[in-house]
Amino acid sequence: MMTRWLRCLLISGWMLHNPSWADEPLVVVPETGEVRITTDFTGTDVKAVGSMRGPADLIIKLVGPQQTAILSRETKLGPFWVEGETMKMEGAPSLLFLYATAPIASILPPAEQQKYGLILEGVWVRVAPQLKARAADDWRKAFFRLKERQGYYLEDDTAIKVFGNRLFIADMRLPGDLQVGTYTIETLVVKSGKVVGHNVGEFKVRLAGIERRVWEAAHDHSWLFGSLFTLLAMLLGLALNAVPFRRAR
Amino acid sequence: MDVNIVLILLYGSLVGFLSGLVGVGGGFLITPLLIFTGIPPIVAVSTGSAQMAGTASGASYLHWRHGNIDFKMGLILLIGSWLGGGFGVYLAKVLLRAGQFGNVVVFLYVILLGFIGVSMLIESVRAVARAGKPGAGNAGAKAASNSLLRNLVQRLPWQMTFPASEVRMSAAGPLLLGAAVGILTSLMGVGGGFIMVPVMIYVLEMPTKIVVGTSLFQLLFTTAAVSIMQAGINYSVDPFLALLLILGSVLGTKLGARLGARLPAEKLRLILALVVVAVAAKMIVTLLVPPAHIHSMSVEVQ
Repeated sequence: MMTRWLRCLLISGWMLHNPSWADEPLVVVPETGEVRITTDFTGTDVKAVGSMRGPADLIIKLVGPQQTAILSRETKLGPFWVEGETMKMEGAPSLLFLYATAPIASILPPAEQQKYGLILEGVWVRVAPQLKARAADDWRKAFFRLKERQGYYLEDDTAIKVFGNRLFIADMRLPGDLQVGTYTIETLVVKSGKVVGHNVGEFKVRLAGIERRVWEAAHDHSWLFGSLFTLLAMLLGLALNAVPFRRAR
Repeated sequence: MDVNIVLILLYGSLVGFLSGLVGVGGGFLITPLLIFTGIPPIVAVSTGSAQMAGTASGASYLHWRHGNIDFKMGLILLIGSWLGGGFGVYLAKVLLRAGQFGNVVVFLYVILLGFIGVSMLIESVRAVARAGKPGAGNAGAKAASNSLLRNLVQRLPWQMTFPASEVRMSAAGPLLLGAAVGILTSLMGVGGGFIMVPVMIYVLEMPTKIVVGTSLFQLLFTTAAVSIMQAGINYSVDPFLALLLILGSVLGTKLGARLGARLPAEKLRLILALVVVAVAAKMIVTLLVPPAHIHSMSVEVQ
């Protein structure tokens, strides 16, 4: 809810683990270890750079921290369109970007896509309160449609550039309104329909600067914050309004 | 939420401009404008009250200097509106949980703005047609409200004298009036001057000069209390939004007051009436036109 101008973000701490298993050595290094973003944050580019051995396809999966979304549906009440049912969508990642060197469906069979969570609309989401299967499915579909329209879930097969079958650079454009928390980057090397290399890294997004302090105060000490801010508003109004008016009279 | 800073400044100055031009608080315009921009209704309502606390403080100070505030009356109104405001904030929380807050606010606004806008429009068109013959407009309204409500207020218990306003009545009258206004402040982010002022003039029979000062005094402390409660209970006051609105409204008020001194009063009221009717019409249209996307999504507030 807090507006995006509160979102002053700090992306830091790329912690890359060694490949969990590797038929092929694969190293992904972010362009910068720490990205500091100021008040008027409107999104940022994150670059991942890596190398692989020989020609292969690549899939990079960027997953944001979990986030509960509130989904509401407009219904007709007499002649009016009003806000009707409201559902909570729980457990799904706030953001899911799938980057690949070719359409994922063309380089991996469905079973493998499933195994590595490479299907946008296959993400697990819990609908609360519990509904019958078909009704819940309608809400899930609406959820995915909105996520994709707002640009938080996407599949892109143009963002990875490969040089000489060895080096690759991925341009990942993060939107302005990011959920704070830990983001993971999973890199998969694909050869003839099989995943042959695998690497997981992560980075953190958190609020920083004055906005962060204000946001924390507004939540952790909401009464104190409300009192002080209202007093400030009154003093500001007094200073700006009364003084010039008095002169005018 | 992506909000255009320039747009918010413009809204603030538009409302300030109108209040400088015709002397209304403008809370009833700020909230719908913010909702049109895509600000969640609860944030629009709460931030609106913070903004009004800011703008009312300057005006109250002036009236206090001129001795236009009946503090005894103001205090009783204030007790009423604090009680009403507290109840309203709690009601907002219940409605929020039920997911109905937005609907209730929009419908209340359509009814309120439609009513005010149309009656102002009729009155000001008549006044423009009459071209400024003074005094005729108030007699009918006064006679109508004389009968029932005023008799009731005279008969209730806790009779007391208000020396500054030179009236004697039951304390229950201003207490109930204050409570009604307090609930409206929490649910709609309005100061309630548009209800308070006519009731005090016609039903409580207070002198007009004292009414404006006392209403502003009450408005200042009601909106301040509601703003604190909304921040405390619903975490819904956006400080940056409120500061932008206050800055904008100060700029607008000066421009409006300057222009207001040159235009005839009935034309000013006509302008305001047209703005109010336009906002009400826009709200009705959004209610009637089928939405382009039937679902909408927001992130849960902790």
